[in-house]
Amino acid sequence: MEQNTAILTEGLVKNYGPVKALRGVNLEVRRGEIFGFLGPNGAGKTTTIRCLLDMIRPNGGTIRVLGLDPQRQSVQVRARAGYLPGELAFEGNMTVEAGLRYLASLRGGKVDWGFAHTLAKRLELDLKPQFKNLSKGNKQKFGLVQALMHQPELLLLDEPTAGLDPLMQREVLKLLHEMNRAGATIFFSSHIISEVEQVAARVGIIRQGLVVEIAETQALVKRALRRARVRFGKPAQAESLENVAGVKVLNTDGDTVHIQIEGEMDALLKALAKYTVCEFETERPSLEEIFLAYYADKEAQ
Amino acid sequence: MTAVILHMLRRSTGAILGWGLSLALLGFYLMQFYDTLADQRAMIEQLISQYPPELMAFFGGGENAFSPQGYLSMEFFSIIPVVIGIYAILSGCSLLLGDEEAGILDLLLAHPISRSRFFLGRVAAIATALAVILGIVWIAFIGGVAVSEELNLSALELLRPFIALFALLFLFQSLSLFLSMILPSRSMAALVSGLLLVGSYFINALAGFDETVKKVSAYLPMKYYQSGYAVDGLNSDWLLRLFGAGLFFVALTWALFLRRDIRVSGEGSWRLPAWPRLRVQGRKST
Repeated sequence: MEQNTAILTEGLVKNYGPVKALRGVNLEVRRGEIFGFLGPNGAGKTTTIRCLLDMIRPNGGTIRVLGLDPQRQSVQVRARAGYLPGELAFEGNMTVEAGLRYLASLRGGKVDWGFAHTLAKRLELDLKPQFKNLSKGNKQKFGLVQALMHQPELLLLDEPTAGLDPLMQREVLKLLHEMNRAGATIFFSSHIISEVEQVAARVGIIRQGLVVEIAETQALVKRALRRARVRFGKPAQAESLENVAGVKVLNTDGDTVHIQIEGEMDALLKALAKYTVCEFETERPSLEEIFLAYYADKEAQ
Repeated sequence: MTAVILHMLRRSTGAILGWGLSLALLGFYLMQFYDTLADQRAMIEQLISQYPPELMAFFGGGENAFSPQGYLSMEFFSIIPVVIGIYAILSGCSLLLGDEEAGILDLLLAHPISRSRFFLGRVAAIATALAVILGIVWIAFIGGVAVSEELNLSALELLRPFIALFALLFLFQSLSLFLSMILPSRSMAALVSGLLLVGSYFINALAGFDETVKKVSAYLPMKYYQSGYAVDGLNSDWLLRLFGAGLFFVALTWALFLRRDIRVSGEGSWRLPAWPRLRVQGRKST
């Protein structure tokens, strides 16, 4: 394993009885990068992350995390990693502070408590309430603080911004950037493409237990479909858009045309420049649309 | 491991105080009752002699039901394993599965503590909690004897039945812990352990009246429980059997836990086959 590889899985297989959760996952995450792990529900994202931490034992394949075998050296791996579960649960009767202190004690007390307080302050997490009284967003903040407070080399985050408001999502992404600049490798799963695009240099797409693509984030987004609505100054001239590269007319409604664009928008904008355009709206592609575009291509091939 | 033990003990504080103090109160009360009964001993002995022996067996009474040992057995130590057995079983089957079903184990085991240390720390904590509960009751018994005029038992003599009780409860605690690892849910592990506890109690009570039942009782833990008669001295062979079986189940569970896939959100969970439901569905479909 190369020195600059943080996570390496080869042919990772995990079955739950007849259910094949992972069917040979091959993945390489470089040290110091932010890697987004994308996939629909049930694709195997969480199972992969939990294999990396030895919560579950794979049926086949090899795993190396920071050069270590998680099954033989699980304590060492976990000492150097921070983990945010997808569905965070904790003891309801403990206060946030007591909970964090308990989790710090499981790390042998190797936590800079000043840093933990700084994190809590930045995320606006009150340390006094009991865990059971926290909102979903505050539970997520608790999860983030416990994952980051020991300043790990590797962060494994399952949907890190789930349940947070947009301002807090931005703060979390900023925090992840800072941790990354300080040398941490960040491996996170997400459904929010704008978030992935904002922070991840590379992404992996998992589907039905197989990594079907690992790509630079920008390349993936460029390949994705976008939808647009164009309202012309006079009745729609849809036919004029049909010959534009990458554009497909979905429907026409009076002076409004709904189109689908694949790839760069330059050709479309140049084509529209010839007409009076009253409104032009584009929609960011959802992750699902990226998948659909991706799988449509694959199936066509 | 110390962090795990201390945390579990803190978490068990309510249960320790609740069970310990309520049983201590009961024990202290029963001690005082002995003096009152002593005044009417002849009449009560005559009454007891007319009870069917099967009934007396259920209450742990023997030929010397009115001796301090017999009284302690009949009024407290014969039935108390079933009562505090509820705590032992629930604490055993919740030890790992409770947090796993709640999704907490996933987060805890993401920390740098080995599964062995985590497991042994938790087992040590619940065994300690059980010992503390019994310790509180023992202290109440000492207090009760001090106040009583008729019960002349030393602290050591009183300690012995508590050791026998601890050995029996530790076995059921570890058995329920083991069952929680092999059965699909905590509630099912508690149900099976509870049935074994109560079944063991009944079969042992009836063992004196039927040879077949007696043979069966030899394989059940209650047979090796001395009850209040341990005041006269502990049966080390029986004690070793109970502790040995308890440790055997702990070791088995340890091995299973080391290999276990920690579940979250029902991931990898399983259910017992629901054949009656399948049959009904089969009928509907045909």
